[in-house]
Amino acid sequence: MLLHEKTAIITGTNRGIGLATLEAFAANGAKVYAHARRETPDFLALINDISRMYGIEIWPVCFDLTDYDAMKQKMKEIAASKRSIDILVNNAGAVADSSSFLMTSVEKMKAVFEVNFFAQMALSQYVARMMMRNKRAGMSIVNVASAAGIDGDPAQVEYSASKAALIGATKKLAIELNGYNIRVNAVAPGVTDTDMVSAMDEGLMRRTLEKTVMNRKAQTGEIAGAILFLASGLSSFMTGQVLRVDGGM
Amino acid sequence: MVISNLEKYKNCFVEAFALADGAQAESLKYQSIQEWDSVGHMALMALLEDNFGILLDTDDIIDFASYEAGKEILRKYDVAM
Ligand SMILES: NC(=O)c1ccc[n+]([C@@H]2O[C@H](COP(=O)([O-])OP(=O)(O)OC[C@H]3O[C@@H](n4cnc5c(N)ncnc54)[C@H](OP(=O)(O)O)[C@@H]3O)[C@@H](O)[C@H]2O)c1
Repeated sequence: MLLHEKTAIITGTNRGIGLATLEAFAANGAKVYAHARRETPDFLALINDISRMYGIEIWPVCFDLTDYDAMKQKMKEIAASKRSIDILVNNAGAVADSSSFLMTSVEKMKAVFEVNFFAQMALSQYVARMMMRNKRAGMSIVNVASAAGIDGDPAQVEYSASKAALIGATKKLAIELNGYNIRVNAVAPGVTDTDMVSAMDEGLMRRTLEKTVMNRKAQTGEIAGAILFLASGLSSFMTGQVLRVDGGM
Repeated sequence: MVISNLEKYKNCFVEAFALADGAQAESLKYQSIQEWDSVGHMALMALLEDNFGILLDTDDIIDFASYEAGKEILRKYDVAM
């Protein structure tokens, strides 16, 4: 039970890496505020099943990450609940349709940055302030970046750049929040088997995977394992780091 | 004993900046004393949030430039003084 007595907020838990992370956290004893964009019956049933399976509490927290008023309202509700938050996983992220740099409008770049960077910063500000007030030991923020944020490939410019920005912020936040017992790290997954890569060009997918030692996509649980490690006390001497989970690039 | 919002507000300054008494708080501005630096500022914000049961907006944290300005800001959160 790596996260016994811990309470986490995880964004984008309705599918993909976020869902696998929710399961990994639940299996390790964490109580979780499970974020999704929309509070659908399917989502509520999903978290209810996970909650029962592992015997832990999961509370839905639903808002579009680009709706700052809704984010503020939900954070106020969490603050009012007086539950101490120990962990934030900034997982939710977006990718735009494929296009080359010269064919990408600045507006489109801004839209991706809004989800992958600015919303994560706004949420991290709220949650870090709640964490600071708790004054608990072993608090952790984990940002889900991407190998593309380091390598520039295989995603588009705005996606790679937004993840590079998140990596930069990870390093700076690690310095600024260290005094409050909050570690800040990032994972940089390679190609992972989720909806996000389902529309990826087949040739690009093959060439990308062939560059890796393992020559396959990651399963979501393999990324969740790295997130769990960075969230838990197992990584207590790590902050400001970017952990590549990429099948060996 | 019921303690007024104004007293609670002053006490947050006293605790955050280790002041001798509440009267000293009234003339304070951000960075007017060594203790009210960016770290002290966040400690003050945390005390205000705890004592009044509110979550301040980031813009209000940035605008919280003095003891007097803070009173106006807290009014937005239904904390009358
Ligand atoms: N898959 C990969 O190969 C890969 C590689 C490296 C990094 N990553 C990163 O891993 C993270 C998870 O991605 P994934 O592969 O699991 O993708 P996914 O299956 O497409 O899931 C993305 C999640 O983000 C949520 N989301 C997107 N925009 C949102 C918004 N504006 N407001 C609220 N929620 C929003 C989605 O909600 P909805 O369901 O409502 O859309 C969904 O829960 C992302 O940050 C991604 O960039 C993925």
